[in-house]
Amino acid sequence: MSSTDKTVLASAGFHGDVLTLVKRIGVRMQNYEYQHRKPMSTPACAQMLATMLYGKRFFPYYTYNILAGLDADGKGCVFSYDPVGSYEREHYRAAGTASALLQPFLDNQARALARIPDYIGRKNQQGVVFEPISKERAMTIIKDVFTSAAERDIYTGDAVDIRIVTKDGLEEHRFPLRCD
Amino acid sequence: MDFLIALVGKDFVLTAADSASARSIMRMKSDMDKMIPLSSHALMLLAGPVGDCSNFGDYIQANLKLQALTNGFEASTHATANYVRKNIADALRSRGAYQVNSLIAGVDEQDGPSLYYLDYLGTMVKVPYGAHGYGSFFTFATLDHHYREGMSLEEATDVLKKCFLEIKTRFLMNLDSFKVRVVDADGIREVEVAQP
Amino acid sequence: MAFEFGGMPQFEAATCAHRSTSKALVKHNAGADVDEDEQQFTGPVPMFSLPRTDNPSEFLHQYSDANPDSKVKIQFAHGTTTLGFKFQHGVIIAVDSRASAGSYIASQTVKKVIEINPYLLGTMAGGAADCSYWERVLAKECRLFELRNGERISVAAASKILANIVYHYRGMGLSMGTMICGWDKKGPGLFYVDSDGTRLTNNLFSVGSGSTYAYGVLDAGYRWDLSVEEAHELARRAIYHATFRDAYSGGHINLYHMKETGWERILNMQDVGPLHYEYEAMKEQSMATTAD
Repeated sequence: MSSTDKTVLASAGFHGDVLTLVKRIGVRMQNYEYQHRKPMSTPACAQMLATMLYGKRFFPYYTYNILAGLDADGKGCVFSYDPVGSYEREHYRAAGTASALLQPFLDNQARALARIPDYIGRKNQQGVVFEPISKERAMTIIKDVFTSAAERDIYTGDAVDIRIVTKDGLEEHRFPLRCD
Repeated sequence: MDFLIALVGKDFVLTAADSASARSIMRMKSDMDKMIPLSSHALMLLAGPVGDCSNFGDYIQANLKLQALTNGFEASTHATANYVRKNIADALRSRGAYQVNSLIAGVDEQDGPSLYYLDYLGTMVKVPYGAHGYGSFFTFATLDHHYREGMSLEEATDVLKKCFLEIKTRFLMNLDSFKVRVVDADGIREVEVAQP
Repeated sequence: MAFEFGGMPQFEAATCAHRSTSKALVKHNAGADVDEDEQQFTGPVPMFSLPRTDNPSEFLHQYSDANPDSKVKIQFAHGTTTLGFKFQHGVIIAVDSRASAGSYIASQTVKKVIEINPYLLGTMAGGAADCSYWERVLAKECRLFELRNGERISVAAASKILANIVYHYRGMGLSMGTMICGWDKKGPGLFYVDSDGTRLTNNLFSVGSGSTYAYGVLDAGYRWDLSVEEAHELARRAIYHATFRDAYSGGHINLYHMKETGWERILNMQDVGPLHYEYEAMKEQSMATTAD
């Protein structure tokens, strides 16, 4: 996981490629700031990451990425990617080895809470109550998600790094998971 | 699945190609033109992957047009066929080969009508009649049996109709529409042949 | 392009036109930050880093989901139903929204219609990244054409730009089946372009794993003189039936109508879940009337 105060990147897959990719993103974000005298916005960073991943279309980075941050309106944004740079803006996303386990969990929990208009997802929960999601509730969901993943996915465990982006800046947390 | 056929007559070459464009098991288009004019009196029929055919066809056509412009005269059918063959042969030994089989039909003032059979490996034969594709398996016997040197257009059309009929009765695939063209001293023109 | 003829021996001019796609490719720089480390991987295709093997496409193929023996799997989004047809009132484009990786549904909310500009639309089938990347490149080329020529690019020319680019990469393992649709001086335009370099025009196309099912509905109901409402319903129904039968298609329907004034979005993410029961109810109703 790597971040500026407005944009965070979570990257799963081959760690060597993750390190290279994160370094190269860092270089380009710094250059952007020097040239334009302003930090790169999250949506701009999202498009950049897509072109960088596609640049290795014939020898891909073996990485599954999620980029998150605040957009121009100050709203939260999540961008999910495939290894060669196909991306989509979404409200929530699970990636990596346990993604198939966790995405339905998020569909069930986060969708109802994130005030997502009805047309986006199926109603896969009876008696949905749409209410704004609080930071505390979001934290609880994230911790539950990873506890569940550590329980059923052999590649997930030890601890989870959590970053929260708000208009006031970045918060960092580490939450321990089962260590077996 | 493309089917090309052509036969040389008294003072003309009669050519035909099916007009289906297939992709895997699907027909994407039913009015495809698989012939491309290379000069006022030469016509090339192409079979193979659609991308290769259109790119190769356009490329050859443009080059021959330019040659005609710079030289002040159009190349003979013989020269045209050899030029096409060289391009196929050169591409074969490079990174990207053109997977195109072709027939080149033309009429010259001196040599009269002629037909060249080319395959994607760079084979070239001057023939009195020729065919490409699965359809050729069904039609060569008909051609061998009925073809005569110096046929009139009516006679040649009759032979062509026999070929279409055989395709219709024996070939599994439904090739139901063909484009038929004649190259003669007046140039290239389309003719209506009643489909079986 | 015409400028690139300069300095060439005259009889080679057509050769130059043919090869000039490779020059254009230099502009299609994917990662502008290709550093020296990356540079040494650069093979016959400029600016894309390639594995140093005799056959770069085979290298990737052995790690893709196409090879069942590989433990390492790089999975690409696949599976789609898209359709497009011309009729008296313009062009209709309709698509599903599912992205699958193997048997896992990676997303139900993919936007498979790419809005190139107000008069051009592209559809996505095959590799999601291949489609969106190259259609973005196409969008750039179309904008540059406008700036250089002071008029909009024709649909035929736009689709040919894309076909030329992907034809240059033939055998490298690109996967895309796209329809480019628009409105130009000649009226409505619809072209099918795929990664084999195929480029066709017709009144009616459907692309993707669900296309056979969509064709079944379309071929039966298609007429040139369809009314606007009939056309919208035909497209919607064709996509619905494809999502019903094809496991790799599903999610939502997006429907666009291309008119002389540019495209208009008719259906925005209509869920096919409830739609199934609407159509079932209609079927039951019609059966009840025939029984009477």
